[in-house]
Amino acid sequence: MTNVAQIWVYLSGSPLLALALTLWAYRIALLISARLGGHPLANPVALAVAFVALAITALGMPYAKYFEGAQFVHFLLGTATVSLAVPIYQGLAALRGKIAALGIALVAGGVTSIASAVAVARLLHADRLIIGGLYAKSLTTPIAMGVAERIGASPSLTAAYAVTTGVLGAVLGRFVLNGVGCRAWWQRGFAIGVAAHGIGTSRAFAVHPEAGAYASLAMGMHGVLGAVLLPWLIGNA
Amino acid sequence: MIPGLAEILLFQGLGELVSHLFAPAIPGPVIGLVLLLAFLCIRRGVDSDLAGVAAAFSRHLGLLFVPAAVGVVLLLPELRAAWLAIAAALITSVVLTIGVTGLLLHGLAGDAGKGD
Repeated sequence: MTNVAQIWVYLSGSPLLALALTLWAYRIALLISARLGGHPLANPVALAVAFVALAITALGMPYAKYFEGAQFVHFLLGTATVSLAVPIYQGLAALRGKIAALGIALVAGGVTSIASAVAVARLLHADRLIIGGLYAKSLTTPIAMGVAERIGASPSLTAAYAVTTGVLGAVLGRFVLNGVGCRAWWQRGFAIGVAAHGIGTSRAFAVHPEAGAYASLAMGMHGVLGAVLLPWLIGNA
Repeated sequence: MIPGLAEILLFQGLGELVSHLFAPAIPGPVIGLVLLLAFLCIRRGVDSDLAGVAAAFSRHLGLLFVPAAVGVVLLLPELRAAWLAIAAALITSVVLTIGVTGLLLHGLAGDAGKGD
């Protein structure tokens, strides 16, 4: 019994447990998502977060302790953000002849996303903490968390909103676009990418490659524009 | 894989440096992204190693935000108290954003390039 206790003390003090927990939770989440045909509601990130949350609660492991070990995975977020330059570069050719329309739509979409979310939350008397997470939620999650840190919002809350937004966009996008009579694949993809970043983009790729390419471009442009403008907008608000 | 990763880490470092010195409001990795994009435009191409690393990151991007997102469990009481406001805000926002963006593109460009 003492041996087991000693092993437990050793494990909970090293990053091994937190890292293994994160990887296994994600792996199982991916399997479940694949089993359900990749339906947007079976989002692997949301599932993995739920599994880890349940596991650390069951183990009585404080979140700070878990994060201390899992920070090696977390660190790579910045690196992954930089690597987004590659898909953006590969999508630049798709901008040709459409840059004005896409630019206008992107700015209008970005403003709508923030203004409508904050207005509705205020109307329903949400407090500062809850509203703070809404500003960056339509940006791609790694950029959204970086921006959240800079504007004094909770990165965890922003990440949770961003994942939820992505899932909602992936599920509802089709109906909204049909409703407004938007039929061209590039337009549909771009609209989904602006609103629902990476999760919307992977949904768009599953529907049509052209929609996917424009969704990915929209996600990248929105991420960069949001990271540059949001801290400035909030600083001057 | 190593050359591509080394290149990305270099631009991440440059981005952090520029962020610290000139633009503290903008996250370093985003500046690194813009610098790498500028570099790719100047060099006119992505080498296959860099493309491979970038593809690996984007395939498993979701894994990387699990540790931070789990932190939302600490906020569960607040979330529970405000769940209606949050759900209404997120749904309204995503529907309006897709609607406005789609409507504008449709209005500005018509059905040009309409798919099969």
